[in-house]
Amino acid sequence: MIEPTGEAGSGMWALTWRRYRRSRLAIIALVYVGLVSLIAIAAPVIASSSKASLIGFGPNDVDMVNRLHPPDERHRLGTDELGRDVLARMIHGARVSLTVGLLATAMALVVGSFLGAIAGYYGGAADWLVSRAIEVVLCFPLLFVSLAIVAFFGPSVWTIMIALGLTTWTNEARYVRGEFLRIREMEFAYAARASGARDSRIIFRHLLPNALAPVLVSASFGVAYAILTESALSFLGLGVPLPTATWGSILASAKDYIEYAWWLVIFPGVAIFLTVAAFNIIGDRFRDALDPRSD
Amino acid sequence: MLTYVVRRLLYGVLTFFGITIAVFVLVHSVPGDPISFYVGSHGAQSLSRPVLEEIRHAHHLDESLIRQYGWWLRGIMTLDFGNSFIDHQPVIERIASKLPNTFLLNLIAFLVAAVLGVPLGLWSATRSGQPIERASAVTSFLLYSLPSFWVALLLMQLFSVRLNVLPLFGMTSDDYLDLGAAMKLVDRAKHLILPVVTLAYAQLAVFARFSKSALTEVIRQDYITTARAKGASSGAVLWHHAFRNALIPLITLFGLSLPYLISGTVIVEQIFQWDGIGRLYFEAILTRDYPTVLGLAIATAVATLFASLFTDLLYAAADPRIRLEAR
Repeated sequence: MIEPTGEAGSGMWALTWRRYRRSRLAIIALVYVGLVSLIAIAAPVIASSSKASLIGFGPNDVDMVNRLHPPDERHRLGTDELGRDVLARMIHGARVSLTVGLLATAMALVVGSFLGAIAGYYGGAADWLVSRAIEVVLCFPLLFVSLAIVAFFGPSVWTIMIALGLTTWTNEARYVRGEFLRIREMEFAYAARASGARDSRIIFRHLLPNALAPVLVSASFGVAYAILTESALSFLGLGVPLPTATWGSILASAKDYIEYAWWLVIFPGVAIFLTVAAFNIIGDRFRDALDPRSD
Repeated sequence: MLTYVVRRLLYGVLTFFGITIAVFVLVHSVPGDPISFYVGSHGAQSLSRPVLEEIRHAHHLDESLIRQYGWWLRGIMTLDFGNSFIDHQPVIERIASKLPNTFLLNLIAFLVAAVLGVPLGLWSATRSGQPIERASAVTSFLLYSLPSFWVALLLMQLFSVRLNVLPLFGMTSDDYLDLGAAMKLVDRAKHLILPVVTLAYAQLAVFARFSKSALTEVIRQDYITTARAKGASSGAVLWHHAFRNALIPLITLFGLSLPYLISGTVIVEQIFQWDGIGRLYFEAILTRDYPTVLGLAIATAVATLFASLFTDLLYAAADPRIRLEAR
């Protein structure tokens, strides 16, 4: 296993990190993702009904007098049609977006890496079958399939995760397969085989860690896509069920009050956009940093 | 070339069966009595047992799963997707009646994206390493990260609510039928602008990125260096040697973008109340109109299959390396 090394290291990860941090945009994206993650984790503390919390409102606290109220001292990002604080709902919405994004990508990673590894390592019939399966999945419009799965099996964080995982594993599978085809012919792979290691050990202990880098790049794009799709599903009313706050569901109610409630349109949209952009930028710069030609 | 074509077509047939199996498995793993796929979940409760048994028999639900798949596949092959639960019209006719609206919208969006995106990408590739190239790369990334439903809402708010120059949604105005021929055209065009922009901007970014990386790849090739070494001007090198070869990979992109266009159609048609297949699909999902959902899922997947077959063959015709490598 290659471990990320410290400052003076010259391993692949240390070199990659040194190349990565040259991009100011990439650092900003990383810091942004870190911040949003912290906010998501701390959401119940930051935004709750207790007076001690930073925002002073929970995501479902109703302020009947101030419905559809523009941003002011009390509700810094305004309120929605039920008088709920938009900032509090957005803070809790970050939890949903990040959870779904990470879980769906984790699922795609596990399924994709497993199938890609088997296809690349064994070749032949296994490779043929996995390649045909990828071709079939790529024929379906992903949002069509996700919508059907979520609607028919009942919307929840888990069905969304499964719907996204089942439709997006093909990228990871293709990357892992490609890497395996390359590295299974390398000397360390022969050495492992010659020393009598079982196939499963060669695949998971020796080859997979070395195929990880390009897969992590595609995982970063995967998180971006999953967050985008989750918010689209919520916007269409088929996301994590109400009253759970999600960025997409705030935008859905914004649609009905578009004539004057501009704050409902602007803030959750900016949150989705920045988060998706951050994961896309991290993936892009990480890919550049892995490329030795960029030195 | 012929072996390549035959092989590719055979794989296409296999993929078609894969598509039908995937949909069949998915549908049969949905919890609940499969009879609700034929009479709707409400219908199943109100019917008496003998009637249910009869329906079961008529739809082959009393046979093995393999045989059920066979019957279902036979229906698909003859373009019989069954009747909608909602209006009891054949699904295939419902799809056919909405398809032109979706086609018009997507064709225009696709053309706008290609006409603007491809030259933009090629141009930024020739400015490699300059600040303008970095800036355009970041811009296309940001465009790509914008949620389309948010863009739609922003456009509606700006152009329909604040400026009041474009209609909020719909395909035509209420007084459309009273308009003269020229005004009818203007009215339709006005209704097209916002949905087209919403569909096109992300595609544009994809086209720009793709054509940029295609040209960057070509410029690295030895024959470009050779052409330069001969003393050809950089304009001539780009025009005669680089551009044409960079355009070949774009063929695959045109085939691959179909499923993305269709996915985008669901959101755009729903927001702008555009009467196409995306909206038909979404409403079928909400009303659990299974025959329409299945029919559209199969139809769009098969359309993508045909598009990818077509582009692969076109690609092989344009680039001999493909068909020779594949033997």
